[in-house]
Amino acid sequence: MMPYKKLMFAVLLVFIACTVQAEETLKQYDGIKGRSYHSDFYDGQSCDSCHDSKKPLNLPADDACLACHDLDDLIKSTSRAGDEKWQNPHNNIHYGKDVPCMECHGEHESRKPLCQGCHTFKYEKFNQ
Amino acid sequence: MKEEKGHQVDRRKFLVGMGIAGAAATATLASPVLAAAGDRCETKWDQEHEVVIIGSGFAGLAAAIQAKRLGAKDVVIFEKMAVFGGNSAFNGGMFAVPESPLQKKEGIKDSPEAMAADQAKAGRGIANKEQLLHVAKRAKEALQMTLDAGSEYFPYLQQLGGHSVPRTYQTTNAVGAGITQPLLNECKKLGVRLVNRAMFNSLIFDDKGKVVGAKIREGYYFGRGKEGSPINVRSQRGVLVATGGFARNVGLRSAQDPTLTAEVGSTNPPNATGEGLLELFHVGAVPVHMAHIQTGPWASADEDGFGYVSNYSIYNFAHSISVYPKTGRRFMNEIADRKTRSDAQLQCRDDTGNPLPPVTITSYEHAKEHPTMKKVLKYGVGWKFDSVEELAKHHNIPLKALKEQIEEYNGYVKKGVDEQFGKPMAKAKGKYLKAPFVTVRNWPKVHYCQGGALTDVNARVIDSTTWKPIPGLYAAGEVAGGMHGVSRLGSCSIPDCMVMGMTAAETMMKS
Repeated sequence: MMPYKKLMFAVLLVFIACTVQAEETLKQYDGIKGRSYHSDFYDGQSCDSCHDSKKPLNLPADDACLACHDLDDLIKSTSRAGDEKWQNPHNNIHYGKDVPCMECHGEHESRKPLCQGCHTFKYEKFNQ
Repeated sequence: MKEEKGHQVDRRKFLVGMGIAGAAATATLASPVLAAAGDRCETKWDQEHEVVIIGSGFAGLAAAIQAKRLGAKDVVIFEKMAVFGGNSAFNGGMFAVPESPLQKKEGIKDSPEAMAADQAKAGRGIANKEQLLHVAKRAKEALQMTLDAGSEYFPYLQQLGGHSVPRTYQTTNAVGAGITQPLLNECKKLGVRLVNRAMFNSLIFDDKGKVVGAKIREGYYFGRGKEGSPINVRSQRGVLVATGGFARNVGLRSAQDPTLTAEVGSTNPPNATGEGLLELFHVGAVPVHMAHIQTGPWASADEDGFGYVSNYSIYNFAHSISVYPKTGRRFMNEIADRKTRSDAQLQCRDDTGNPLPPVTITSYEHAKEHPTMKKVLKYGVGWKFDSVEELAKHHNIPLKALKEQIEEYNGYVKKGVDEQFGKPMAKAKGKYLKAPFVTVRNWPKVHYCQGGALTDVNARVIDSTTWKPIPGLYAAGEVAGGMHGVSRLGSCSIPDCMVMGMTAAETMMKS
């Protein structure tokens, strides 16, 4: 039974780590929830950092995040080895580098990775 | 000239003709119809293109490339999802081609006629033989289009259920994206305009009943309550609807087949909901074979969607046995056509009538030849056993009966004849079942809709009132119906989608 218990303990740790991270980054700002690592946006109410200033209620353009974030860096930071190579969410087997950021990442709400619609593999660094 | 009148005007008359009794029932239907009919007379166009394609799966991508090759200057693909590829980016990437380069290399005798005959047999007398032969004859050309775009395939062929010879290619990453990604890159190179989050709303007709454009909702966010803003897109050469099937539309599929309730899973992505098909019916297309909805017998009871087990089982069935856990005996030809196998699997029940998924047993030394085995074991949807005793214990199968079944089956391998279920044993030659073993548990999932809108061999959509092609309207791929009949053979959808997409482009470019 020991290996099984160890495994369950590891699973529990990962679960806790994910939950804690999720709660850590999604914060309540003035009138809206947002990510703590984007707190600068909320100090100055600079919605236009991401949204079209004329239509702030519309979702940002699919490439809005890439104005600051470098896709190649993102690909590197989530790279996986060996037979998991194509599980890299930023360069994956089904869609390559073309998945719009907002399909997995929520700035004002929690979201889950697109892959988890079907697959069970985990993204431990992902902020839900 | 009378029969060429606008379909929506006809429909409007029909609705009016139904009178007061029908008014309540048709109220929801009537309003969009009237609005669309109004559009027709005074359409304000927001965009104009030479060729308009709805959907970015195999059919839409092949059509775009072919249209470009035939000289189209301005081709656009509208895709409702955030990502391109549709269900085509999800499937196993298996492509049946008769008289292929690999068959030549392996010395396998085959012909388009033989492939179409295999398919017609599985179609149980109601398949469209003319279309099957048309696709089989041009499958090699379609394969070449993918190779030219950069698709890579395993250097060997597989023999899938219902096929009389090995004729199936598979992408080296064992997924259809091994084709859609290269085709998408090719589209980009050729200057095809690719628009995501663009939901097809309705077709736009001119006064003579010809399709001259489509209403598209730009900025559509699937599943997020953002329905988008409508634009009118004019098309000089008509509209190709390549929107796929409806495996995930539980209402529509269970209306055809009441056994396919929400409890039955699907291998398709959640967006396979068939609105494009419904619009074709709305303007008068002929529904065919709508109740023939295929479930995949290689899917797994232990994972969601297409998953890993599907490809694993497709590869391994030829040299494996599937046993009913209660008896330890085989219950089917493991490479019979899909319907035969799914029907047999659904009979595997426990004493209370609940599903008791059959166990498919493969020798480790043969299973490991395909890269999916590692995934199946790693993600806990398959198991490895060093002995038949361990296997029987884990799956709760009577040991003695199982041992006898394995011994009996190995006799068939030796003889090259399956006396139990008549399985073709060519691909099992020399592949005896022996420890260590790998197992998976199979249970069918909704995979493919044979039904759809009736098209002719030129991919033109047929009108249910005139029985002539609706001018300017084309359909290709799973949205079109009737080609395969009762059961589609594995690896025959990719050639269907690719060839009919190419064909549609050729017809459009001649218009």
